Amino acid sequence: MNLNQAFKIAAKSIAAKKGRSALTMLGVIIGLAAVIILVSYAQGQNAQMRAYYESLGTNIINIEASSWSGRDLTDDLYAYCMEMDDYVLGVSPKIEMWNDIVIKYGAKTLSNMTAERWEDTPQLAMGNHQFSLCSNYTIAKGRDISYLDVQKYNQVCVLGSHMAELIFNYANPIGQTITINNLPFEVIGVYEEQDPNFMTGKDNYIVVPYTMTRYLNSSTSWSSFVAKAKDGPSTTKAITLLNGFLKGLIGENGYYNVQTPNQWQEQGDEQIKLQQRFLGGIAAISLAVGGIGIMNIMLVTVTERTREIGIRKAIGAERKSIIAQFLIEACMICGIGGLLGILVGYIGTLIVGKLSFNMILLPSAGITVGAFLISVALGIGFGLYPAIKASGLQPVVALRAE
Amino acid sequence: MLIDVKNLFKIYNEGEEAEVRALDGVSVGIDRGEFVAIIGASGSGKSTLMNILGCLDIPTYGDYHLDGLDVTELNDRQLAHVRNKQIGFIFQGYNLIPALNAWENVELPLIYQGVPASRRADQVEEALERVNMADRAKHRPTEMSGGQQQRVAIARAIATRPPIIMADEPTGALDSKTGLHVLEILHSLHADGSTIILITHDNGIAATANRVVRLSDGHIIYDGAREGAFQ
Repeated sequence: MNLNQAFKIAAKSIAAKKGRSALTMLGVIIGLAAVIILVSYAQGQNAQMRAYYESLGTNIINIEASSWSGRDLTDDLYAYCMEMDDYVLGVSPKIEMWNDIVIKYGAKTLSNMTAERWEDTPQLAMGNHQFSLCSNYTIAKGRDISYLDVQKYNQVCVLGSHMAELIFNYANPIGQTITINNLPFEVIGVYEEQDPNFMTGKDNYIVVPYTMTRYLNSSTSWSSFVAKAKDGPSTTKAITLLNGFLKGLIGENGYYNVQTPNQWQEQGDEQIKLQQRFLGGIAAISLAVGGIGIMNIMLVTVTERTREIGIRKAIGAERKSIIAQFLIEACMICGIGGLLGILVGYIGTLIVGKLSFNMILLPSAGITVGAFLISVALGIGFGLYPAIKASGLQPVVALRAE
Repeated sequence: MLIDVKNLFKIYNEGEEAEVRALDGVSVGIDRGEFVAIIGASGSGKSTLMNILGCLDIPTYGDYHLDGLDVTELNDRQLAHVRNKQIGFIFQGYNLIPALNAWENVELPLIYQGVPASRRADQVEEALERVNMADRAKHRPTEMSGGQQQRVAIARAIATRPPIIMADEPTGALDSKTGLHVLEILHSLHADGSTIILITHDNGIAATANRVVRLSDGHIIYDGAREGAFQ
């Protein structure tokens, strides 16, 4: 008997047993779709948690570095970080001026010496065109500080949302000129509100190009920098690389320290690790449940199959013909069931993503392929097992199966 | 001799307290073209003998030559070929595959034999016509009466044109009129040259055979012409 015949017999057998074939297929479909949807749900949760921790300021790296010789490290650090673009998105000097600041606009005066509340106290920060990125600020109005602003010593500034309110009373600040310690600066942009509850005092910033520092402050050697890494793992990697770089650059001739600004990073990483373990557990359990379902349906029909095999042997079927028939049958049913299961899993995942997370959630290819292979292997294994067993019996024994 | 069996034993639970000797040293020879009825009470071993003759079971001890071939030496694959080409087996319970229709059931042994589709159709047609079931070819077993199912089973047994037809209580599940019809078919096959071996507990049916073998407790207690079998 050739393969073509085996295919014909198997196809005939599937078509003849429509109800049972559909039930078996349903087992594979449900098992597979359940795995895909559950794992995707956990992945969606994971992604949401990552986003939450990132919003808390993860992936930010604070760098303290100064050389005893007073050498300016800004360009070296910038060049090095741009080379590490697999891990690092940007780097900026971060100078926070803590001496007296007086801001004037028309008749209005704001000063860090006279403000009564913390959120009303102007905070002056100096950075480059990547400062906003590295501090998780986004521009709400106008534009950000540009590379040229930095290079050309442009006297421009970007205001935190609360500062803009205090100075301009909801009027449009863009294009207006304010003075900072008697130096005129054009307002080119306003940041989006960061902190509506005034918990961290992030909306009282005034940011100017760091090249203006020498006109506002006597210090010209920047020792504080901030960088933003791509994600949690990149942060860890970048910290290691930066430490190595600074060791080579400064070594014993200065001081350097690289770290994440807060405990969220570590806590977030820990949470994500836990979540991933949870996810693995869910995948394993749902695969087991799906697999048992498939197994169950396949084993239910053992008696029926054993009799059928007895008949086939009695009329002259070779053992290999019988095994080939049942193998092809199981492959066809589980293959079709598996593909339908993936389809249902994808649709289910899209729906779950929309309803639960309001985002486009797609199952990972690894889980899809893995779950497909395992459920198809289970279906084939348990479909084939009775065939292998029964085809080895004497026909009269197989025929006796009740 | 077509079938030559010597000193055949089939022993279950050998050496244990519950040892059962279904066949206890049976020797029998059957020539081409004979019509043999094997009779005996239930438990006499007649079905066991038939299963072994039909290569559906293997003896515990003993020799079995089928058309000169030592069956006890054959492997699983060779036994499948013998069952396919040499023997057509008819069961009391028909043993049709319920999911397949009459045509497909009859076609199955031909597929296993590797007969090409074009010739297969002719042979299936011929076999079904022989048992007068050609008009029921598309019916499933559940859509047929017992007699019709048994006729399809006979068509399946003769589809590969085997020299030997073995029937294990072929009329046992049928009413007497239908049973007689099945018996007629077997006689017509015999008339065409087939060797027929028939198991029955019905003396009336056995009396239509040329030769009768009677078993009791795993032994042959009578083997000869039907005229002396029922005295």
